[in-house]
Amino acid sequence: MPPPHRNAPSAAFIDPARVDALLAEAVPDDEDRAFVVRCILGEGPAHHRGANYVLLRLLGMIVDRLGGADAAALRARGTTPVPMKVPPHLARRGSLMAYPLGLSTAALEELAPVGTPDHAAMADCLSDGPPQHSLANAAMLWLIGAALARLEERAPGSARPSARSRTRSSAPPKR
Amino acid sequence: MSEPAVELPSGLDQAFGAVAGELGQATTAWLFVRAVARCAGDGGVASLAERAGPEYPVLDAVARGWLAGLRKQTLDPLPVLAAIGKANRLVVVGMEATPLDALMERLDPAVKVAMITHSPFPVDWDRVLDNYAGRIERVDLDTFQNWAGGKSALLTFAYGHGDTRTVVPPLWLRACGADVRAQFRALVAWNVLEAPLQLYPRWLVEIDADSFTHFVS
Repeated sequence: MPPPHRNAPSAAFIDPARVDALLAEAVPDDEDRAFVVRCILGEGPAHHRGANYVLLRLLGMIVDRLGGADAAALRARGTTPVPMKVPPHLARRGSLMAYPLGLSTAALEELAPVGTPDHAAMADCLSDGPPQHSLANAAMLWLIGAALARLEERAPGSARPSARSRTRSSAPPKR
Repeated sequence: MSEPAVELPSGLDQAFGAVAGELGQATTAWLFVRAVARCAGDGGVASLAERAGPEYPVLDAVARGWLAGLRKQTLDPLPVLAAIGKANRLVVVGMEATPLDALMERLDPAVKVAMITHSPFPVDWDRVLDNYAGRIERVDLDTFQNWAGGKSALLTFAYGHGDTRTVVPPLWLRACGADVRAQFRALVAWNVLEAPLQLYPRWLVEIDADSFTHFVS
């Protein structure tokens, strides 16, 4: 068992508006997105919330410098739901209790072909656990998929054109 | 309080406890304060606060507010509706009849509503929920999470707001743990008192107001 943290890390640097802006195309509805951002940055231990923020911001910078996310193209390549964890006997029958951000599976195709057990297992691993893990994974995978798609477009002889040339910037809204 | 002492019928404090479970403490406090004021004037309201206030701090707050000139409960459900937003399931934690009635009049009929039927006071829940003609379903602490989801909201009532703290029914703490916080998109508190409680919050519990996604005053 690891020793307890002597001093809980501070997550005072978190600015939810910046991650909200990053996810504006992945989760277009404002209320849905506010819920997702709260689960990633506002719930759970400070070290998870802070790490989520740092990694998402950095991934967002990579995507921005590569030309921004092509949301339509990513969405077209498929998503799987990120399930909401409730005690099994309380799950509603016939109604999937899932978060409003799905797991974009495009990037996983770099590691395992769609439809293979490995691809499915990877998606399961990424979408399991409490939402400060699973939703953060989904948000990161969204940005990683966007970055990989842009790099692929730049590769010589690329056969996968973008659905559109450039999307809006993920800069935070002006206050 | 400088109002002259007025003799009130005995048992008002017991009566308050008997009614508060089914109507809510703030709703009952307004009912009692208005009735006592009508029958015994401001002196009667002062006596009510002196006698029953220490046991029922919400009654004390409403009575003191009355004596300070606050003669009407101001409740606007519109900001609460905005906080609930596009949620299509709403679970109510705690009971306050006047605000809840006002909310239900305006709430989209497509929104399903449930109440966690638990109270520190004696309550006939069938009688309470019959007032809503089947519109509000009954759930308990063991089952309300099957109302969770990406389009679900939790609503409770708050009793005053200090600098950073507020006071809510203890049931809120039992219901809204770390797991549940990530299962409901909106965690809404509707403040039903104009001023913070001046006495120890018996029957209630203090928490940070910013632990809610929406605090509506």
